[in-house]
Amino acid sequence: MTLPSFVSRHQFLIYRLFSLSGLIPVGAFLVVHLLTNASVLGGAASFQSRVDMIHSLGPLLIPVEFAFIFLPMLFHAAVGFAIIAGGLPNVGSYPYMGNVRYTLQRATGMIAFAFILWHIIQLHWLGAPLGGGRFDPHHATSSAATVIAPLGVSLLYAIGVLSAVFHLSNGLWTIGITWGLWTSPAAMQRANVISIIVGVVLAAAGLGAIGGLRSTDVAAARQVETRMEDFKRMMEGQAPGAAAGGHGAAGSRVIVPAADAIDLRGPSEPSALVIPTPTTSSSPPGN
Amino acid sequence: MAQPRVLVVGGGLAGLAASMRLAELGVDVDLMSLVPVKRSHSVCAQGGINSVNALTRQQGDNEWKHLDDTVYGGDFLQHQPPVKEMADWGPRIIDLMDRLGVPFNRTPEGFRDQRRFGGTLYKRTAFAGATTGQQLLYALDEQVRRFEVEGKIRKYEFWDFLSPVIDDSGRCRGAVCQDMVSMQFRSFAADAVILATGGCGLVYGRSTMSMVCTGSAVSRVYQAGAAYGNGEFIQVHPTAIPGADKLRLMSESARGEGGRVWVPRTPQDTRDPRTIPEAERFYFLEERYPKYMNLVPRDIATREIFDICTTDGLSVEKDRLCVYLDLTHIPKETLDRKLGGILDIYEKFQGVDPRTAPMKIFPAVHYSMGGLWVDYERSPTGGMLEGSPRNQQTSVPGLYAIGECDYQYHGANRLGANSLLSCIFSGLFCAAGVQASAGAKRAPAAESLYAAALRREEERHEALIQRRGGGENPYGIHHELGDLMTRVATVVRRNDQLAPAYDEVCALEERWRRCSLSDTGNWTNQNVVFTKSLGDMFPLAKLIIKGALLRDECRGAHYKPDFEMPGIAATDPEGKRREAEEWCDRFEANTNKWLKSTIANHGADGHPQITYEDIDTSLIPPRPRLYGLVGGEVIEEVWRERLRAREVNGGQAATREVGVGAQS
Amino acid sequence: MIMKTDDHGGPTAARTIPVRVLRQDAPGQESYWERHDVPWEPNMNVISVLQKVAAIARSQDGRPVAPVAWDCNCLEEVCGSCTMLINGRTRMACSALVDRLLEEHPDGIELRPMSKFPVVRDLVVDRRRLFHSLQRVKAWVPVDDSFDHGPGPRISPEEQEEAYPLAECMSCGCCLEACPQFTRIETPKRDGETDEQLAARRTAAFDQGFIGAHAVSQAVLFNKHPTGKMIADERMAALTGPGGIQMCGNAQNCVAVCPKHIPLTRSIARAGRSATLWALKKLFDR
Repeated sequence: MTLPSFVSRHQFLIYRLFSLSGLIPVGAFLVVHLLTNASVLGGAASFQSRVDMIHSLGPLLIPVEFAFIFLPMLFHAAVGFAIIAGGLPNVGSYPYMGNVRYTLQRATGMIAFAFILWHIIQLHWLGAPLGGGRFDPHHATSSAATVIAPLGVSLLYAIGVLSAVFHLSNGLWTIGITWGLWTSPAAMQRANVISIIVGVVLAAAGLGAIGGLRSTDVAAARQVETRMEDFKRMMEGQAPGAAAGGHGAAGSRVIVPAADAIDLRGPSEPSALVIPTPTTSSSPPGN
Repeated sequence: MAQPRVLVVGGGLAGLAASMRLAELGVDVDLMSLVPVKRSHSVCAQGGINSVNALTRQQGDNEWKHLDDTVYGGDFLQHQPPVKEMADWGPRIIDLMDRLGVPFNRTPEGFRDQRRFGGTLYKRTAFAGATTGQQLLYALDEQVRRFEVEGKIRKYEFWDFLSPVIDDSGRCRGAVCQDMVSMQFRSFAADAVILATGGCGLVYGRSTMSMVCTGSAVSRVYQAGAAYGNGEFIQVHPTAIPGADKLRLMSESARGEGGRVWVPRTPQDTRDPRTIPEAERFYFLEERYPKYMNLVPRDIATREIFDICTTDGLSVEKDRLCVYLDLTHIPKETLDRKLGGILDIYEKFQGVDPRTAPMKIFPAVHYSMGGLWVDYERSPTGGMLEGSPRNQQTSVPGLYAIGECDYQYHGANRLGANSLLSCIFSGLFCAAGVQASAGAKRAPAAESLYAAALRREEERHEALIQRRGGGENPYGIHHELGDLMTRVATVVRRNDQLAPAYDEVCALEERWRRCSLSDTGNWTNQNVVFTKSLGDMFPLAKLIIKGALLRDECRGAHYKPDFEMPGIAATDPEGKRREAEEWCDRFEANTNKWLKSTIANHGADGHPQITYEDIDTSLIPPRPRLYGLVGGEVIEEVWRERLRAREVNGGQAATREVGVGAQS
Repeated sequence: MIMKTDDHGGPTAARTIPVRVLRQDAPGQESYWERHDVPWEPNMNVISVLQKVAAIARSQDGRPVAPVAWDCNCLEEVCGSCTMLINGRTRMACSALVDRLLEEHPDGIELRPMSKFPVVRDLVVDRRRLFHSLQRVKAWVPVDDSFDHGPGPRISPEEQEEAYPLAECMSCGCCLEACPQFTRIETPKRDGETDEQLAARRTAAFDQGFIGAHAVSQAVLFNKHPTGKMIADERMAALTGPGGIQMCGNAQNCVAVCPKHIPLTRSIARAGRSATLWALKKLFDR
């Protein structure tokens, strides 16, 4: 069986998986990612603790990222580009709201995809040549703030984040139609309101994170991060049987509640960091 | 022998019903149409479809009364057995259309809802919103599509029927047709050909009919020898919206809800109608009919509106005949609630809100009661014998006609909501007979017969394309023909107008021969298709005018003021009685003389040869229509006495109340 | 430019309407613009403009030209014939009033053929694909025969009121023309190809293309009908097959341009719901 005939025979299934993948896991990841980033508004420690939590997966992190983020996203993007290639946007002739959204959905999909590619390559590997720098998970806030410091990079991030947010929240609305959750015009209208609220919240989170990072005192953040890193090392050194697992093994998790973080925005002096007693039974929130 | 093959020309209700039933009977069908069949003119029918039903039956209705209403409404000018058969089939046909998924309006309990139409006392009319014709057509279109997928029906859409192929014995063996896209000619061999091509409204230029209703196919078989019946009976609807391109129906309900008809007393008053004071308005229906006011019967409304514009010269506009139909005195909310849908139609096509400005309306040609003469075989019970090859067969054996293009069911005037029934009925009913006719053993027609017919049409086409220098414009000639026909052969007919009009039609036909085409190409040439169909309008125009000229009486839609039978002038009882006796004598004499179908045959000289055919009125004897006639009650009394006297001799008589004749 | 006549019909030049028509003599040929000046009359629609263009048969510069070819029939917006692009937007020519158009575009009227169907000539396009879609979704009630079996099923007024608007679809193709997901399929005849081969190739191409909003809505209509739903599975198979409902991109232009105001997006969403349930059922029932 040739690829075109396979695709044609399973077109419905592929399109529905495409639709689903936009929501779960790709959309869900976007929500977690944006909310995690927004925690920078709670301070460097707050953000760092969440990043640590993610990285606590250790060697599992890469397969998990591929299985639940990169591959679904690539699938979504591949099918999405095929759909875009097959369509003929005509918003010039038919400037109706639905059609504007249809066109924006495709535009934001492409922008978001390009942005995400850049975002990953820049943060993971290439760094400065692509603008900004590389992300250091042990110095989450300070490295991210450094990356995003140039105004141009911030603007690109803002565009990328807003595109992704529009794409998700508008997609939320169209998914409901595609799967038949809301069918009447009135129900579509109600769903529309919800999708707008979701969009506004996510946009606020995304832009908030950018704003938060831009106003971060990098040196102070670095101090906090270094102290947290040291403390973690210390805890790992003492914990029985922890050495083998590095900082991903069970019982080695460090939880830094956001409420205990120091406010690093503004030119305040660094104050003492309160490190709570680690508890082996606690599990990371929102995982 | 091979599987019988039938060519059905026309894909409206009748053509689709016949195709469906034939395919079901195992006959292969070629279905041909000028337009995709789903776009046929049947979609325009709004009102509904008549049949006796469970509800009316319990109110005393039955098929016989439906027959009676139909022949009474048609002024007894139709053979009664086919009408009886149609009325008998009515309930089955509605049931069938219901099963096919037509979204008929429903009662709260889920039964089909019915409304009452003109010309009857019963709620016989089933309806689907305001687009009953469309819904019925789609249901049949869907079944035909199903057979198309199965390979039983092959569609030829955008094809023009040019001529029947007739063998030496006079039997129709197929047709020559033209693909209107590629302009290729092709002959179709067929064991029977069914024409279901509808009315001929375009002979009148603009009408309520669709652009394909040129009557050309009917004219072509008429010119090939098929007889045409009752051509002069053309139904005119009193209130239509005159448009630059066509005339669109305005429902009678606008008057029913209180609409007032008027014209300014000053001819072609240029003032805004809303600023014209009451005293300077002429509410001519209210003044002339104080009892019925604006709700006079349709034929009277039609005549009065026509006369006030033509004879009295009081048309609202100079270049276009029209009167005001005014609803502006009625509160907007009331209008929206009761007439919303139809007012929207006016606004959509006129761009004027009838809630704030008076509508401009004028009568419009609406339906051809006449059509190709068709045969039938009477059954022992007084209906039609199903399966007889004679049913719906024209005077050319093997050539059938059904639907609006036959002359069979509506006599001198059609009852509202009967047309959809007659179309579906004739289509379904004829199938068994056509199958019998098509399946009969006969030698295959010679190839040379088709080749010769094909060559004739190709030559005719080439001659038209090659014609140079005449300078006549076919669209201009059509315009003139339409104006002429509308002026002399619609609502009011006068011999001193009809006689010269006949010559004018002949003169127009001569000019048509000098038409030069603006498109001489051979790809989707609409110019040549139109010019051909225009040429075929003249034989129809001539037979309409000649039939009207010769028929010196008033009957149904045919109204000649010079031959009107006036009511009773006397005031004393004795005088009344005497005049009533005289009236009835005259009525009987007139019935003896004129209760006959007009039969036109195309003469070799191009003129119609008119003869008359007796009518089978064996089921219900003719009786006078007395609506609104002065002294009508006395005449009725005398008539009943005569009827009773005749009954003593064993004659069967109808005992129906004399009611309002109606049209739609 | 429009020359205005004075209110009393004085000796000023008659008012004319500039009309630009995108013409094409035959499939595969180059299209070209042609300008016509049509005398203005009250209450004109685009049909009457085209009738005048045909009658005048001369372009604006006085050159004799073949009349513009176009499709029309009922002129009451109920047959679905006269769809075209008027000032760039798909609509029925019969209900497009000239005075309204001139209010929006005083420069004149621009007429183009529909872009999603192959042009036959001028404004005439080949819409066979549209009717083929109705075959694909089996848009009919599968009755045994047309003989007498008594009345159809009982149907509540509510069900009738839901079905009726869908049944008003006149196959005009506006929803397809405006749909950004519906793209043109053209199968020009190849050298040496017979008509049958061409027809088979065309049908195969149509079968892969998007069925479009009108056909989805008809499938929904017949899947609701008590008898029609007896072959609901066959319709669902078509709706979820190649070119099925999944091709919808939710632009919702279809409902915005539908001249009959048919709730097409509701039909699409309902079909989407049925498709979801049907696919799940198939998954677990096999």
